[in-house]
Amino acid sequence: MTMLKLKLLGASCAAAFVAAAVMLPQGARADQPVLNLFTWSDYIDPAMVKAFEQQCGCKVVETDYDSNSEMEAKLKAGADSQYDVVVPSSYYVARLEAEGLIQPLDHAAIPNFKNLATKFQNPTYDPGDKYSIPYQWGTTGVGYLKDQIKDPAPSWGLLFNPKVNTTYPFTLMSGSGQDTIGAACAYLGYGFACDTKAAWVAAAKLIKETRARKNFAGFVDGEPERDQLKSKLNSAGMVFNGDVATSYADGSGKDIGFFLPKEGTEIWVDTMAIPAHAPNAKLGLAFINFILDAKEGAALSNFNDYSSPNAASQPMLADNLKAELVSPTPADFKLLHFLPPLSGAKLKLFNAIWTAAKQ
Amino acid sequence: MNAVPRRIQRVLAGISLPVYLLLYAPLSVIAIFSFAPSLGHPGPNVAAYGLLLNDPQVLAALRRSLTLAIGSAILGTMLGTLMGFGLSRFRPAKGGGFWLGTLPSLIIYLPIIMPSLVFGISELIFFNFVHEYTGLLSAGLLTMGIAHVTFQAPYVALVVYARLAGLDPNLFEASQDLYANAVKSFVFLTIPVVRPALIGGFLLAITLSIDDFTISFFTAGPGSVTLPIYIYSAIARKGSSPEINALGSLMIATVIGVALLYYFVTRHRERSNRIPAVA
Amino acid sequence: MRTAAQGEARSRAWRLWITSGPGLFWIVLFLLIPSGVMLGIAFFTNSDFGSPVLPLSLDSFSQVAGYGILGWSGANFTVLLRSLLQAGVATSVTILLAYPLVFFIVTRPAGLRPVLLLFAIVPSWTNQVVRTYAWMELLNPFAPVSHVAQVLGIIPPHLGLMPGNFAVLVGLSYNYLPYMVVPLYAAAEKLDWTLVEAGRDLYASGARLFFSTVFPQTLPGLLSGIILVGIPAFGDYVVPQLLGGDKAMMLGSLIADQFTFSPDWPYGAALTLIMLVFTCVGLIVFRRLTQRLGGGEGAML
Repeated sequence: MTMLKLKLLGASCAAAFVAAAVMLPQGARADQPVLNLFTWSDYIDPAMVKAFEQQCGCKVVETDYDSNSEMEAKLKAGADSQYDVVVPSSYYVARLEAEGLIQPLDHAAIPNFKNLATKFQNPTYDPGDKYSIPYQWGTTGVGYLKDQIKDPAPSWGLLFNPKVNTTYPFTLMSGSGQDTIGAACAYLGYGFACDTKAAWVAAAKLIKETRARKNFAGFVDGEPERDQLKSKLNSAGMVFNGDVATSYADGSGKDIGFFLPKEGTEIWVDTMAIPAHAPNAKLGLAFINFILDAKEGAALSNFNDYSSPNAASQPMLADNLKAELVSPTPADFKLLHFLPPLSGAKLKLFNAIWTAAKQ
Repeated sequence: MNAVPRRIQRVLAGISLPVYLLLYAPLSVIAIFSFAPSLGHPGPNVAAYGLLLNDPQVLAALRRSLTLAIGSAILGTMLGTLMGFGLSRFRPAKGGGFWLGTLPSLIIYLPIIMPSLVFGISELIFFNFVHEYTGLLSAGLLTMGIAHVTFQAPYVALVVYARLAGLDPNLFEASQDLYANAVKSFVFLTIPVVRPALIGGFLLAITLSIDDFTISFFTAGPGSVTLPIYIYSAIARKGSSPEINALGSLMIATVIGVALLYYFVTRHRERSNRIPAVA
Repeated sequence: MRTAAQGEARSRAWRLWITSGPGLFWIVLFLLIPSGVMLGIAFFTNSDFGSPVLPLSLDSFSQVAGYGILGWSGANFTVLLRSLLQAGVATSVTILLAYPLVFFIVTRPAGLRPVLLLFAIVPSWTNQVVRTYAWMELLNPFAPVSHVAQVLGIIPPHLGLMPGNFAVLVGLSYNYLPYMVVPLYAAAEKLDWTLVEAGRDLYASGARLFFSTVFPQTLPGLLSGIILVGIPAFGDYVVPQLLGGDKAMMLGSLIADQFTFSPDWPYGAALTLIMLVFTCVGLIVFRRLTQRLGGGEGAML
């Protein structure tokens, strides 16, 4: 670096700084308690956040993630002492608990728990709702651009069969890999909820072959993939149903098509949990209780267009949530499977296979 | 330069002008796209700018970027100036062997040569360990600031060192006779002498801080999203959007405006300097 | 006499530590120790959840070498080679663009030179994320440039110039061009033109004249440029992350993935060690070359 460049650089920021300092607005009050919320992007209505801030007399700082694994990696790297509420999917709850990243919930502080539909209470992934409370539920399917890929058969073949889509760029889901491995398993006939080494290895090999195809554009998480479909950066990929419903509702995703593959796909429940060393666990519990309120639960679904596990909220849900996209039919339910929770040696094996698939 | 034939000069210009064009083409594309029609706003419009200036997230990110830049630059300049001064004045003349010569140089160059990704991840892991065992240094603006000071101080030290290296050492000998006291000598002689370097170093530190993405990205905590991190997460997720185009355009416009300002200010100063020199 | 000299030396050393000590200590505490810890992690075993645990092992290095659960894979070598190649080609591109640009600037009237140089550098003052984003806008599948490339048959239909290796190369060259221009300009500005005049009488051809008179004089500037461009390009994270996608993955993204997605800290740390080794080797080789050629940055510490 020469002096010239140093000087040039220096002078530049002098003026930039002066100009910008003028715009410096006021920060938040220091004495206010803060709720640090770590959640999926666009998963809560900013108006609801405001409402909660008013109710608790606190400030909510929201940070977003796009996959369970991104959230887990952050918690591992110290974020378990920075956030008060996280929103892991059901199959991640046992894993976070085994790692010591989340803490047991004090049910006395969550009186609205009674609003939950009974089928969402005491689930197999978290007996007794010890660590997690359901937030929303939905499905994972294939999103594609209708104007480019005309009437595709509802099959994972759109992504995994090189003969079906030869030219349009497409993606697979990134993150923990469980969704993508599951999809490959389903396509190969092992079933979406596969959990044997043989099935995983076969799926990993298929993913490796798929990656080598010319029009494979990369690994992209659910919501970013929806956004990339909107802006036509690629033409097909794995997305969540509610994200697509939202893009229909605001008119930004008119060209996006969505289907649940006939070989089977994912149904998931996202839950609220409190990190092991949350700075303000009490506020976290208050937030969980707030979400379980009948009115707020409906507002939540009406904003993010996912289904609500809240029985008391059902009468207040908007009409577009009754469409098949958001509320699967009994025939759809036959295709839907929960991903298996993994921990211990099995998790290590899965991670090794997923790493190898991406190598 | 007469040494270069006209013909070659023409070839040079023929290559250079497209290079200039190439340098500015992508930036102009952002600027043009920021006025592009979007959902609910047909035809060229400035809706994206309105959206931007009313977005509390963007304003908060800007505020954090500035707080971080100024705060870290103050500390970085202090540490860097002392380092540059000490190494230029008190290092033994013959290099000082390993402990006083090579080692300090190695340490100073470490943050400069370390790939920023390695820098960022190392800090992430380190702050995590410290926090786990002591409860101190929770990730956020503070840890980002610490990391920024770590890469700012060496650059400031180099600037100050370069300035002092060009001075006559007898000056300091004389000042020591005059003031007798090392602290006084530092305050009354060294500080005024290195002032241009000090100011340059401080401004450089601010620029380095605002320019950094990778290290900030890995040392950030909840609620410490700065402007580069905000832009990165938006584009890594969505690709383009009119709002990000508008934000990018504003940042580019600021930089180009500053460059022009700088050019006219220095040209003016050069002229006013030259007149007394001629007289 | 001896004790006086020793006392003087000791007092100088003391003052050195008083003034430089805090800054040096800061860097040691907040960078040297953290990177040491990071590299240490490479020698731990991976737990079920991707955390480093005892016992010490070299497992992560066999993973780096490509041994995975599906057998051996050359993917990591490909990534390493690709990073080296991208850095090398990007550096060459910046050299090819910077030479004409720099000599165009130095052949302009003296008053015009600073502003021409300034406008070659200005784009680098915007944040790297914004600069890279600009290329995302230019190279995506529905951008006019991609359309032209599709029509000409350079890329298959429906695909864009991004994501991919070409986009990464463009992004890296664009981002680091100013870092080549500045040191080259510093060298070209000091060029001794009388040598060129003398050379003109000896050699007829323009290319020979350039390589025997001009080129050697700009060599120190060129070598610093190579260090300033090649080394950061090799370890770059933002450009391959935004423009690369899966097929153009570089070492930086591979490392970051082990910490930000499916965590595997020991593996990530081992990859980091590889990156640092290559960075250091590159740095040492080019520093040595610079020193041998008698170049140097004047006020180097």
